[in-house]
Amino acid sequence: MYKKLPFLSMLLLLLPSLLFALTADEIIGEMDRLSTFETTYLTGSIQTTDRFGTKTSRFNSWSQGKKDSLIEFTSAAERGQKILRTEGSLYLFYPDAEQLIRMQGAALRQSMLGSDISYEDMTEEKTTLDNYEAKLEGEESFKNRDCYVLLLTAKSRSVAYPIQKIWVDKQTFLVWKAEYSTKQGRLLKEMEVLETFNVEDRVLPKQSKIEDKMKKNSFTLMTIDSFEANPQLDKRIFTLENLTW
Amino acid sequence: MVRDKLLSIFTLILLIALSPLVASENPIVEMNLLPTLTYKANSDAWDTFFNWDLSLSLSSNREKNVRGEVVLKANSFTPITKLDDVLYKAYFKARFPSFRLTAGKNRLSWGDGMLFNAADVLYGSNDTSVSLTQSELRGNTDWLVSVNYPLGFFSFAEVVLMPPQSNKMSDTFFGARYYTLIKDVKIEGGYATVERLHKPYLSLQGNLGFDWYLSTSIALPTTGNSWVISAGVFHLVKLASERSLTLRLEFLNRPLGSWEAGRIDDSNVALLLYPELVFAYSPFLSFTLRSIISPLDLSAMSTFGINWNAFDAFNLIANISLATGEDDDLFSWRSSEIGAPPSFSVTIGSSWIF
Repeated sequence: MYKKLPFLSMLLLLLPSLLFALTADEIIGEMDRLSTFETTYLTGSIQTTDRFGTKTSRFNSWSQGKKDSLIEFTSAAERGQKILRTEGSLYLFYPDAEQLIRMQGAALRQSMLGSDISYEDMTEEKTTLDNYEAKLEGEESFKNRDCYVLLLTAKSRSVAYPIQKIWVDKQTFLVWKAEYSTKQGRLLKEMEVLETFNVEDRVLPKQSKIEDKMKKNSFTLMTIDSFEANPQLDKRIFTLENLTW
Repeated sequence: MVRDKLLSIFTLILLIALSPLVASENPIVEMNLLPTLTYKANSDAWDTFFNWDLSLSLSSNREKNVRGEVVLKANSFTPITKLDDVLYKAYFKARFPSFRLTAGKNRLSWGDGMLFNAADVLYGSNDTSVSLTQSELRGNTDWLVSVNYPLGFFSFAEVVLMPPQSNKMSDTFFGARYYTLIKDVKIEGGYATVERLHKPYLSLQGNLGFDWYLSTSIALPTTGNSWVISAGVFHLVKLASERSLTLRLEFLNRPLGSWEAGRIDDSNVALLLYPELVFAYSPFLSFTLRSIISPLDLSAMSTFGINWNAFDAFNLIANISLATGEDDDLFSWRSSEIGAPPSFSVTIGSSWIF
């Protein structure tokens, strides 16, 4: 009887965590929920570096849920260029030529301003669980934060990365680190959050570094300079009329 | 003459109106410095030029219901005799609850096509007199007044009026178009009266695994060769290590034009091709091969270019252009025509936007 006591007390200690342990799908669901707002307005920059050079593009961005977004570039070389995503379509506007272009098919795979982000990445409307099967691999400490480690396997070939390994903060559900690999496990890119900020009790990435593991010294820094959660947006902001303004 | 005076007055008013707004937005300068070495086989002459072009853009804040922009442009080729020669753009746009008004000197892009676009009935994108070293192959602007009327998320109607080049009211340009999406295909149809010719057009754009676009227009009363069809396909191939190869092929066809090989007028050629290949080795380094090919006489004008985006908006550029064809061909190594491009040219220079 006394021999069983340590085991029972251990079980009692672990009981809350066993009862309230989250599944992989629940972690992903919470992660998606906390990174989506009704509406947002933010300003930021994309800095791309490789062995041939460095360039920085500045932008303003408006979004509504997961479906509508508008980005307007403000840096000199691209000033006034806009990207609109709405109703499953992506449009580009070049002010110099007053030209409206609808992006489709292969054109969506073009990199946005030479960064590690493609136009296709922007058209993503599905949730993570629509595209990936998630498996909880364990727990690890990353940057002194307790994290869930999850392995995401693509359900179809339509996604850019067949395998993703992500480190999700146990408390804030922020993805601190992600490794993007081929089906064969070859590491393509690595993302790491360098800085964070708080908004409405949520923790969001302020600066992230995306490193291309196939090339030496190639990375993109995404920085958010200002962020407004749930601002009142003009009804016509996600229309072609506003895009060509 | 009267038109020029009116336009000058309009521009000055716009510049004055924009001046307080300019303070809130940084002016943008684009500078291209392109030393060029040319060879003309016909006269066996080598020459060197220092080509440059410069543009200054002043624009107002975009967040209000009225906005405007003035762009001044000059280059080493075009002599400046009047204000209109340097005034590339000078316009305002006003946003009303149900429509938008644009007035001034600006561009309207109708239809699709990088080089050939039969739907560009306002400016015409059917000739071969372009520089393949430019990033934007067509960039004509003109004085206009246009009204854009939105009809839902993806549809709009547009009406445009352009003052006549002469003093005759009958030479006024007028045009209208309707833009919509049906299923997954963009459909654009319109009409323009240009120099007393009636030009209806239709333009379609979609995706079949690759992007495609198709346009057609005709000028009535027809002169036979005015029926123009243009089409293009575009595809991007992602290569390892984030490199990419983009392929574009456009053609221009005048079914009633001249199908004969040899030196014929640019506006009468029955068939022209425009292939373009861009290999992006890195976000900062790309190689481009562009060509205008006349398949009837197998002559071509080709340009191979290297672009290195060394720093923010600063590019180092190198281009080699070559005309290949016999004496009587559309493009000829030994062309004797005035204004014809050189047989061979090399350009090494830089471009900076700040």
